[in-house]
Amino acid sequence: MKKAILYLNQFFGQIGGEELADHAPEIREGLVGPAMELQKQLGDDVQVTHTIICGDNFMGSRTQEALDTILSFLEDKEFDIFFAGPAFRAGRYGSACGNICKTVKEKFNVPVITSMNDENPGVEMFKKEMYIFKGGASAAAMRKDVAAMAKFGLKILNSEELKSADEEGYYGRGVRSQIWMESPVPATDRVIDMLLKKVQGQPFKSELPIPPSDLIPIAPAIGLGDLSKLHIAVVTSGGIVPVGNPDRIQSASATKWGKYHIADKYDLIGGEYQTIHAGFDPAAANADPDVIVPLDALRAYEKEGKIGGIHPYFYSTVGTGTTQAEAARMGREIAAELLAAGIKAAILVST
Amino acid sequence: MKLELGNFFVQDIVFGAQTAYVEGILTINKEEALAVVKEDEHITEADLVIVKPGDMVRLVPVKEAIEPRHRIGGGPIFPGVTGDLMQAGNGRTLALKDCSVLVVGQHWGGFQDGLIDMGGEGAKYTYYSQLKNIVLVADTDEEFERYEQQKKNRALRWAGMRLAEYIGSCVKDMEPETVETYELAPVTKRTAEENALPNVVLVLQPQSQMEELGYNDLLYGWDCNRMVPTFMHPNEVIDGAMISGSFMPCSSKWSTYDFQNFPMIKRLYQEHGKTINFLGVIMSNLNVALEQKNRAALFVAQMAKSLGADAAVVAEEGYGNPDADFIACIVALEDAGVKTVGLTNECTGRDGASQPLVALDEKANAIVSCGNVSEMIILPPMETVIGELQSLARDGLSGGWNHDAILGSSVREDGSIIMENNAMFCGDQVVGWSTKTMVEF
Amino acid sequence: MQMANLIPVAKSVGANRMVPTISIPYPLGDPATSKEQQFKLRYHRVGVALDALTTDIQEQTVFKVKI
Repeated sequence: MKKAILYLNQFFGQIGGEELADHAPEIREGLVGPAMELQKQLGDDVQVTHTIICGDNFMGSRTQEALDTILSFLEDKEFDIFFAGPAFRAGRYGSACGNICKTVKEKFNVPVITSMNDENPGVEMFKKEMYIFKGGASAAAMRKDVAAMAKFGLKILNSEELKSADEEGYYGRGVRSQIWMESPVPATDRVIDMLLKKVQGQPFKSELPIPPSDLIPIAPAIGLGDLSKLHIAVVTSGGIVPVGNPDRIQSASATKWGKYHIADKYDLIGGEYQTIHAGFDPAAANADPDVIVPLDALRAYEKEGKIGGIHPYFYSTVGTGTTQAEAARMGREIAAELLAAGIKAAILVST
Repeated sequence: MKLELGNFFVQDIVFGAQTAYVEGILTINKEEALAVVKEDEHITEADLVIVKPGDMVRLVPVKEAIEPRHRIGGGPIFPGVTGDLMQAGNGRTLALKDCSVLVVGQHWGGFQDGLIDMGGEGAKYTYYSQLKNIVLVADTDEEFERYEQQKKNRALRWAGMRLAEYIGSCVKDMEPETVETYELAPVTKRTAEENALPNVVLVLQPQSQMEELGYNDLLYGWDCNRMVPTFMHPNEVIDGAMISGSFMPCSSKWSTYDFQNFPMIKRLYQEHGKTINFLGVIMSNLNVALEQKNRAALFVAQMAKSLGADAAVVAEEGYGNPDADFIACIVALEDAGVKTVGLTNECTGRDGASQPLVALDEKANAIVSCGNVSEMIILPPMETVIGELQSLARDGLSGGWNHDAILGSSVREDGSIIMENNAMFCGDQVVGWSTKTMVEF
Repeated sequence: MQMANLIPVAKSVGANRMVPTISIPYPLGDPATSKEQQFKLRYHRVGVALDALTTDIQEQTVFKVKI
């Protein structure tokens, strides 16, 4: 028998309305409110053993305390899956469902499922991190929304094949994977179909919707007189390493980065340094690694006094086939080292 | 230009006394065939093996696939590559269908080489598991690149082409079982009915990113790195004017067999005169500098516009920085008023969460997607391995690795493998066969 | 700040200060030119990059290079 636990707010947990939104977290054995519907939809093979109830304001204003308390409730419980909501269009409730699902997933590594209306701000906040089903605007959709969560929960528990976000009915988590189409249509037919529709001005659906671009806050400029006091760091995705690649950084799909001491170098010499990047013709960079790590030019500026100095290490990894997630992680790790060393400016040379 | 492709449908392949095709059975005189392979003194060892769909056989490192053919009236099947330069795409060429010559390294692989499972759960990852294949397994004395990750594979690739010509020549005096005719009138001499339909061009971006010669796709023997986009008759492409190169992660590559059978070209032909007026192919390329990428896009858009194209299909052989060529080309075409559909694969990472193409633009609003290069694949051991299994891990195949702190080596002790789709031989089938797509989870 | 040849890629991943380089395999020195010319180009573009760090910007900006 598999076991499930459900999270509700004070209203659906039958404590009371807005006046009781400060209600502290509690856990009850058995079924409260929507838990009964969830149990009915899950059927005989899964038992909803407990219902957790917490006031929306308590969760909103004393979040860490609420999460810690609930985690302590769960520590000695056996459960295979965790549900929260449905939260409909209730913003604080949606955010609470997102917060608790995220925390439970991280701590207990069980599947977590919730449901929200598309206007619930919790969707944007949490959709990348969990299954949030597309729910109704109000409690009138309770039965339907609970049914959707339960149906998908059963599929996970029974290790059935999970279909795409659209087919299953949850908000896409930004994870794109390849699938073989159920009724196979070769790419040629898909192209012709899309082409004719586009030419005729009919609606069509791209298989690669262009996501909105990520804008990153702009770092403030360095004060004009300050550059001559700062040490500059060089970071590259061009795979320059000492010959022999001591850190065994991968030539493609890299997950590792290295840092190499250059305080005693005026420039990088071919034969001492090389590129291990598999995505381009390495001849030029192997002959003169300065074309990727421009140490000689920076030394010249150091001598002129335009910059205060050069960070004693350069940092290197390989950009080809490297996932954005890995690249971002390596970037954060390198940035943390640079910040710890007091570096305020870096040049990233990409290939 | 009118091309007749005369087909012989190979039902079985066997070794025998005389290389011949009789009622669906292709017999190969192994000794004679190997003598053709060894015409190049750089081939030091060679063997032939026949593999069929369902065989529990794993091939790695696979370098090339070629359809055996014969050009009626004389001339090489790959003008400017295996023989003198001549016009491809006109006249009659005979083809042995449902089979290919596969070239496999006896030991050594490289970044661009791939893997094929003929049977079992791995078979679905490549097109070539559906074909009966004559496998050339060979080694060379090309010492300069034996331990290089990037290999030109010249001796092996050329040996494969010679072998395909030799095998193809066994039907030279026979009447084909079926004949496919590919004919387009000159662009300015089309019928009123054709002219009334939307005018469509196919833009191809074959792999050409190595600046050193010898790695890139060749057009009539000319390195595609050294060209600007040019207008071609589609018949030239499917009749041997293009051969595959030896660069780019393998699932994104287009083999020579892919060029010879280019499904997107054949599909556009099918629509020609019915729903579209197929103008022809703009052969572009892929570059390593932004200025080159933009220059190619400029040429393509101008050519499409001058030809009066209303719509275009753009396909890229590669991913990563080639996505910038792909997107630049689509944007240039859309800016010129040409409604464009893109055909590509994606790199969303093992976790599926990376940006699908490295460059994106909202004008690229119609894309058909054929797979994720970094999808993780785990396959059980295979009874027979042709080539050398360790090459997947040892030699830097794009989807393999020698060491990973968590995953270990791509090749496990029991012969099972863990790899990225990247190393599946021509696995993403962007030429048009792909029944894979990408969806969000 | 980022020095990149594929400015469209740098833009789409969110870089704010960008200086173009000349190619992917050799961002800062064309091997077909002399060592002196390569250094001159590299010195110039790294200089533009250093100046970019001291320049206030309001949006993603590609800084102009002369050589």
